Amino acid sequence: MACRGGGDHVKLPSPPLSSVNPGSFATCPTSFHNICMVSDFFYPNMGGVESHIYQLSQCLIQRGHKVIIVTHAYEDRKGIRYLTNGLKVYYLPLKVMYNQSTATTLFHSLPLLRYIFVRERVTVVHSHSSFSSLAHDALFHAKTMGLHTVFTDHSLFGFADVSSVLTNKLLTVSLCDTNHIICVSYTSKENTVLRAALNPEIVSVIPNAVDPTDFTPDPCKRHGSITIVVVSRLVYRKGIDLLCGIIPKLCQKYQNLNFIIGGEGPKRIILEEVREKYELHDRVRLLGALEHKDVRDVLVQGHIFLNTSLTEAFCMAIVEAASCGLQIVSTRVGGIPEVLPENLIVLCEPSVKSLCEGLEKTILQLNSGALPTPENIHNIVKTFYTWTNVAQRTEKVYELVLSEDVLSLNERLDRLISHCGSVTGHMFALLAVLNYLFLIFLRWIIPDSLIDIAVDATGPRGAWTHHYPHSEKRDDNEKVSETR
Amino acid sequence: MEDERIFSDICGGRLALQRRYYSSFCREFCVSCPRLSLRSLTSVTCTVWLVAYGLFTLCENSTILSAAIFITVLGLLGYLHFVKIDQETLLIIDSLGIQMTSSYASGKENTTFIEMDKVKDIVINEAIYMQKVIYYLCILLKDPREPQKISQVVPVFQSAKPRLDCLIEVYKSCQEVLAHQKATTTRS
Amino acid sequence: MCDQPVTNTKEVKWQKVLYKRQPFPDNYVDRRFLEELRKNIYARKYQYWAVVFESSVVIQQLCSVCVFVVIWWYMDEGLLAPHWLLATGLASSLIGYVLFDLIDGGEGRQKSGRTRWADLKSALVFITFTYGFSPVLKTLTESVSTDTIYAMSVFMLLGHLIFFDYGANAAIVSSTLSLNMAIFASVCLASRLPRSLHAFIMVTFAIQIFALWPMLQKKMKACTPRSYVGVTLLFAFSAFGGLLSISAVGAILFALLLVSISCLCPFYLIRLQLFKENIHGPWDEAEIKEDLSRFLS
Repeated sequence: MACRGGGDHVKLPSPPLSSVNPGSFATCPTSFHNICMVSDFFYPNMGGVESHIYQLSQCLIQRGHKVIIVTHAYEDRKGIRYLTNGLKVYYLPLKVMYNQSTATTLFHSLPLLRYIFVRERVTVVHSHSSFSSLAHDALFHAKTMGLHTVFTDHSLFGFADVSSVLTNKLLTVSLCDTNHIICVSYTSKENTVLRAALNPEIVSVIPNAVDPTDFTPDPCKRHGSITIVVVSRLVYRKGIDLLCGIIPKLCQKYQNLNFIIGGEGPKRIILEEVREKYELHDRVRLLGALEHKDVRDVLVQGHIFLNTSLTEAFCMAIVEAASCGLQIVSTRVGGIPEVLPENLIVLCEPSVKSLCEGLEKTILQLNSGALPTPENIHNIVKTFYTWTNVAQRTEKVYELVLSEDVLSLNERLDRLISHCGSVTGHMFALLAVLNYLFLIFLRWIIPDSLIDIAVDATGPRGAWTHHYPHSEKRDDNEKVSETR
Repeated sequence: MEDERIFSDICGGRLALQRRYYSSFCREFCVSCPRLSLRSLTSVTCTVWLVAYGLFTLCENSTILSAAIFITVLGLLGYLHFVKIDQETLLIIDSLGIQMTSSYASGKENTTFIEMDKVKDIVINEAIYMQKVIYYLCILLKDPREPQKISQVVPVFQSAKPRLDCLIEVYKSCQEVLAHQKATTTRS
Repeated sequence: MCDQPVTNTKEVKWQKVLYKRQPFPDNYVDRRFLEELRKNIYARKYQYWAVVFESSVVIQQLCSVCVFVVIWWYMDEGLLAPHWLLATGLASSLIGYVLFDLIDGGEGRQKSGRTRWADLKSALVFITFTYGFSPVLKTLTESVSTDTIYAMSVFMLLGHLIFFDYGANAAIVSSTLSLNMAIFASVCLASRLPRSLHAFIMVTFAIQIFALWPMLQKKMKACTPRSYVGVTLLFAFSAFGGLLSISAVGAILFALLLVSISCLCPFYLIRLQLFKENIHGPWDEAEIKEDLSRFLS
């Protein structure tokens, strides 16, 4: 069992909000789908995409759908595992190339993915993250097999350098015949539409969510002096260089100011240098890598949360911090201005000067008591982003997608050739044809009728969720996960 | 009581499952693959010989031909003796334990016995095997130090690889025996 | 999604925020979609004559190579006495040395902290070593055929032109590699000259024209652009004249090359700017514009 805290407790999502779009969200879905989430990024790897997939899957399971997750093997974690509520995860033995992303040949994953799609009777393939090559492979194979496809993009990408020109081209190819795309913010939608030259009508915006019960304020943990909390990976893209300018400037100005910095990364060394040079050992605490469950305990110790990211599609961190009742100071980049209302966040330009001004303003407000109390902030933020809402909106996307037709092979080839430029288009059209031939070969070697239909753990006939909801008894639906 | 049913393995080959119920606490399951067919034997031999002749015409060296004879004969012997398993038997006796026997085509037999107090449970598991995801029956062994933990997983019918419907048959019967065994041990 | 009741859409205005539940479907596309898209905001506007002026670096280097080859040809033919070349070379080096300090009023020298004594020492060491090794240079490539030597020299000089530091910030630029290739070419060519004195003088001349001359040029370009243009023109004409005395066709081709580089290429560059389409928007990674190193050092 893999997920957070052993995954032996079931977290019930908060009941669906009645204020959501009047009349649009039914509390109970009309039909149930077999959804396969595919991404290279999943637990035990930690990050935004990973928790998004996990939480979304859990909420979809609660709503009665069958959900399985396909990812690549992480060290000794390979084979098939079950997480909370019978969420089935396939850890496929594929070679990892770079940054937890698998190497791709476009074809080698077809036999396994086809086997999984057939035995789990998958109807919708939902891929996550444009950095994940397994996700793109799965989209490619799913389209070859005539399944409905959905893609969620979690990141922003520029247009300036050679590498982005290449990846954008590949994204165009991958998304031009995908049924629907989900982005996490409006800025991300604009970005994806431009990158992949898409029709904006097939791109939905569904934000990420946080579990508000995980991030509750606790003002008594705060100390007398003002504490600024930073929780992020310590890398260039998170603007740690800016942080290095802010710390000495503010620490010299305010004697009762402390910093708590959580996270690990290559930029840690320059933070340490700054701390060394200005002798701030007692005022700047570097906590190192944090586990997700510890984040809340760090957040509640502070008054102000500082985010210095240089690019960000959604930024879960500021929502988590706001949910813990902190005042947010952040850079105005990417989708951040869309995330919180103006009274909860101070937006600054990505420069030391502007961020310092923003922080000073907030400190002034804090000292004069003009800021809302943590409880108030929590109660406002709690209603903004819930996984139930995300799941309902994603469900709508699935229903829309299932009402559409999947492109037949010749339509798909036409789309590829007309949409992706003549050279790339023809090249990938050829690859699509080869993939189709490979699929026919596989169907001849092992016909679909020879593939055992998997026992559902979740979903409408899910043995795990329905027949034995509290049973500890081992039977053929509950299997120990182990690979040979 | 004895009956025989026909199932298929994961590649579509024919499998016969024989169940022998000696009593309600002693059951035997026997999965047998079809014997080595003359057709496949002939085709393999022919291929080896054709290749050998091809090489012979190229190098004009007659040792190749004699080598081909040796390879076919030794290969066949080795295949029958070490690879080809005709029959796999699972014998489960309530008070004693589980015995697994695999008989090779040459008549060699390989037997493993597991005492009942080592057995924690029998389950059907899933695994990724070659480019497939398959179900297999396995026996979970208790960790002698911590009885709640599992120390080892012993797969059953490893070479026959029957499909899920066949496995469920065996699984259900085994669970009946195990349940009876548990009931008797708690009573005593 | 699409089955939203669109009753109050008219009154409610769409907002680009995520925290509000808005009466629009998730895939709604507002008029404001992509309104923050900007194009070519960082694109540089080029002035024709400025580009022509910048192209003079390339012209200079082409002329250097041309002058070098012409001088070698004269020496090889025996039309140019080595003593005469040595004398002119030394004289022009001295003038250049004085100019080098005069142009910026000795500022560069103060910055680098190099004394004249050090300069003299390295010059002496270099000249003695080259003189001592010139008999070796002479016989070094005896076993190699002359055609190979010529081919190699052509490749090396081409390489010198390719890798030369014209002021572009590219990965291919490597001034050491470029200088080494030029010296290698000069050694190759020098070994085909009649006597070892010739070889010695040829290599010295190569150092002057490929190593010292660009340094002076760079300084001139930075401090006195007008005189730099004059010098470039003069240099180009002398190279053209030298080539003309050997081959008329070659001289015309060379002149065409120079004209196309200095006049046509800038024109083409400016025309191509019209097709530039660089997309910018809120999704771009922010750049840190301040100098943050002061907090560290």
